[in-house]
Parts: sequence; structure tokens; C-alpha cells
Amino acid sequence: MEKSLLKVEKLKVKVNGKEILKDISLQIKKGEVQALLGPNASGKSTLSQVISGNPKYEITSGEILFQNKKITKLSPEKRVKLGIVSAWQMPPAIKGVKLSSLLEKISKKEFKTSEGKELLEREINVDFSGGEKKISEILQITALNPKLVIFDEIDSGLDIKKLEVAAKIIKKELISKKTALLIITHSGHILNFLKPDITNILVEGEIICKDKDYKRVLRTIKKYGYEKCKKCTFLADRP
Amino acid sequence: MVMKNVKNAHFWQIDHKVRNILGAEGVVVLSSPQAWQKFDWVRSLFKEKPKEGYFVWVKKQVPFPLSTCVTIASPKISQNLTNLLVIEKGLKIKANVVCNAAKNNLYGSHRAKGKLILKEGASLDYYHFHQWGEKDFVSPDYEFTLGKNSKLVYNYKNLLPPANLELRTVIYGKENSSSNINFLINGINSKIKIEDILFLEGENSQGIVKLRLVGRKKSDIDARSEIVAKNIVKGHLDCQGLLVDKDSKISLTPKLICQNREAQLTHEASIGRIAEEQLTYLRMRGLSEKEATDLIISGFLKI
Repeated sequence: MEKSLLKVEKLKVKVNGKEILKDISLQIKKGEVQALLGPNASGKSTLSQVISGNPKYEITSGEILFQNKKITKLSPEKRVKLGIVSAWQMPPAIKGVKLSSLLEKISKKEFKTSEGKELLEREINVDFSGGEKKISEILQITALNPKLVIFDEIDSGLDIKKLEVAAKIIKKELISKKTALLIITHSGHILNFLKPDITNILVEGEIICKDKDYKRVLRTIKKYGYEKCKKCTFLADRP
Repeated sequence: MVMKNVKNAHFWQIDHKVRNILGAEGVVVLSSPQAWQKFDWVRSLFKEKPKEGYFVWVKKQVPFPLSTCVTIASPKISQNLTNLLVIEKGLKIKANVVCNAAKNNLYGSHRAKGKLILKEGASLDYYHFHQWGEKDFVSPDYEFTLGKNSKLVYNYKNLLPPANLELRTVIYGKENSSSNINFLINGINSKIKIEDILFLEGENSQGIVKLRLVGRKKSDIDARSEIVAKNIVKGHLDCQGLLVDKDSKISLTPKLICQNREAQLTHEASIGRIAEEQLTYLRMRGLSEKEATDLIISGFLKI
């Protein structure tokens, strides 16, 4: 049996005293592409931030393992060194710092890109459009040579052309190099380009469904919404 | 000293000793005491004979930047400089001015009183870099006179501050002159007092003064920035402080004095801290907390 790259075990997380994630368990193998779908405020971004080590979240129980080592209490920068990197949904602006300066600082090898060159000499996320922010996130991630990437709403705010560009870079720089992906999405648009191996549904802080057929999940959600998922007992092909 | 066909003009002093002076065609570079002896008009600009310092008089356009470097390299040196830079009419000049300590623990004192005169239509991009040891006392006191239609860009950057910095700057702007003044100071365990006054005297003169001040490791920064409008002019003050460590203090006092009802004077002032979100974001790019803090500060101290 293939070993897990990431293993989340019965994770419970609180923010400002309120429980956001309830008993989350998730496994991702090397090179695997998984999707995490869910309605607004279901806890998707919290899960991304917790796996990446954002210290503002309080883990009340459960463990996170990466390559069989416990990383639950590891700092974000140490997790990056292990190979866990996340793309932010709403990345903050860093005034006065050019994107190229950050890329030079973090890049593990000489950084080259054919996409997003026009962003390199601009200050990070300062006056970037929604699409430019996403491209900037992808550039930063590829510079880090990761083993696991969590994309938080990478398809939000992108028109179909930009979505194709984003998907093209992700395929070329990550999927073809066997980088594992967890794609968090509200709309699911990007899944048609990236074709996940497993699609998870997160509702009210719980993963309530896992399905190998992302098309079937998207069809169901489009037709019935996430409310149907809560009641579903047979649609899911639970692995 | 005047030399032909050189691609540089500079003044270099270490402790109290002038190490090198290089003029060029159309650029007179002397020590201040020499200039006091040689030119009557220099005497009218200073109250008494200078002890040390530089004199640069630009009479012709040159394609290279002027440079001066004054260093403290020995323990307990007390420099007392009188500097004068004069740019003749219509010339466009760049100057790189460096004042520093060669070591961190020299207990040096660097006092500089300077006058910079831009004659009609002259333009000066003046980059003033300071880098001191943590035991030094530094007190620059500069006065800029901007002639009609002249243009000044003044960038003062101090990333390694002394124990004690008293920085005083006065600018007089004549008709149609413009000034863009930037003070970028990284306070680290320092007591810093900044006082700058921009007098917009001539009609249509304008000026922007920006302060970017960082308070780290028990720094105490007190900045008073003032614009005085005496005519139909435009002026803006932009004072921003970044308080990094809990035991530091920044005080910003912007002041506008308007003596002409058609003048436009505005100001903005703010003091904040580094946002946790920015720190976490950069840590999630693999930077340590210190590296992330330093990067954010370096961005804040860029204009």
C-alpha cells in the first residue's frame, strides 16, 4: 500500500473559541490530486491554514503528519522546508517589496518563468487584480519546489482564459512533477482542468463525502446544492 | 584642485584628516577651511571659519554624480564639519553623500552644519546615506536654499542609526521651486530627534516631505515636521511610523502653517505595527519571523 504524504487525523480546530473544524481526517498520497469542495464558511480555508501552520488557529485535538512525522506543532516556515506550501485566497500586499525580490529570496534554484513576467517588478500584491494575485501565488509556490500544495480558491475571480493559464502552469510545474495537490474550491470550475483523483465535500467543519468521480460531484452540487450532500447516503463512492 | 578628463569629483575624510579631494572641470572641491580662505563670498555664508568639512561648487554640467564620504574610524573622535554645496544656474546634478562609522563601538561624535544652494533652474538629486555604530552621537543640521525654478530631491537614509541622532533640516523654496524630501530611518536602540521645516516662500513653489520611521529595540523617536506656506503654494506632509518592538516609542508631529489663503497644505500621519497576516504570509513562503520582519521593514523604508 502506498504511503501517505499528508495524514490529518481527527483534527479539531477552534478560532476565537468557536469550533470550526470537527473531527477532520484526510490522507493525500504522493503525486495525488484531491479536491475539497464546500459551501461558504464550511471551514475550507481554515483547513488550508492549519495544515500550513498558521499560528492563529488553535488545534484542540488530533494530529497532522507529513511523511509519517508529526508536524502539528511545527512553525509555518519549517513546514515549507518539508515541502508543504499553500496559495492564499486573499494574499496581503507587501509594500515596497518587489515580487522578484521575494522569489529570489525563497527560490531553491534560479527562478525562471514564462508566465507572469509583467508582475515581477511590481510590489507584491499591491494593486494586483484578482487574476494577477493568483498568478503571483502560483509563481511563488513553484519557486519553493514543494511536495504538497494547497490551493485555496485558486479559481475564484478568474475568467475562463486566466483559469486556463493558471491550470496550464499548475499542470506543467506541479502535476507533471508528481507534486500532490489539495484544491480547495467553492465553484469547482478548475476541477475540469485539473481532474482530481478524489473529491472531498466539507460541510459545517466535517468532511461528509469522498468521491472518485469529480464530475458526478459537480453535477450533484450544481443540481441540488450542498444541502443534498448532507442528506446523501448513496451518491458518494467512499474510498 | 581641478583636474581635466576625470569621471568623478569627490571629497573623502577619515576622522579629522582629508584623505582625498578630486575636482573636475567645472567642479571645485576643497576643504571648507580652504574655501573660506580662497573665496570672499564663502565667508558671508558662515558665521566663523570652518574647522573641517567640504566645499563643492558646481559651475558646469558634469555627467557623473558628485560624492563625499566622511568616516569615523578611530575611538572617541569628535567631528565638527561645515559643508557647503553650491549648484550654479540650470545645472542638473546628482550627489551621493556618505557619513559613517567604520566600527560599531567607537563612541564617535559627528556634527555637521551644511548649506546647499541651488541657483535658478538648478536641479539636485541628493542621496544622503548614514551608517553608524551603536554608541555614536550624530547631529546633521542642513539648510537648503532653492532658487527660482530649481528642483531638489533629497533622500536621507539611515538604516544603521547611532545611539543618538539629532537631525535638523530647513528648506527655503523660492518661486516655482519644487522639493521632494524623504527621511527613511530605521531606529534600533536609538534616541532620535527629527526636526524639519519647509518654507514655501515663492509663488507656485511646492514640496512633499515624507517620513518613514521604524522603531525597534527600545528606540525613542520624536519627529516634528512642518510646512510654512507664505505664498500661493502647494505642500504635503506624509509621516508614517512603524512600531516593531513593544518597548519602542514613536512620536509624530506634523504641523502646517498657512499664511496665504490660496495655498494648499495637506498632511497625513500614521503609526502602526506590522500586520500578523503579512508575517504569517511570508513565513508560509519559508522565511523565518525575523527574515519576514526585516523584509517588511525594508519595503516600508523604500520610497
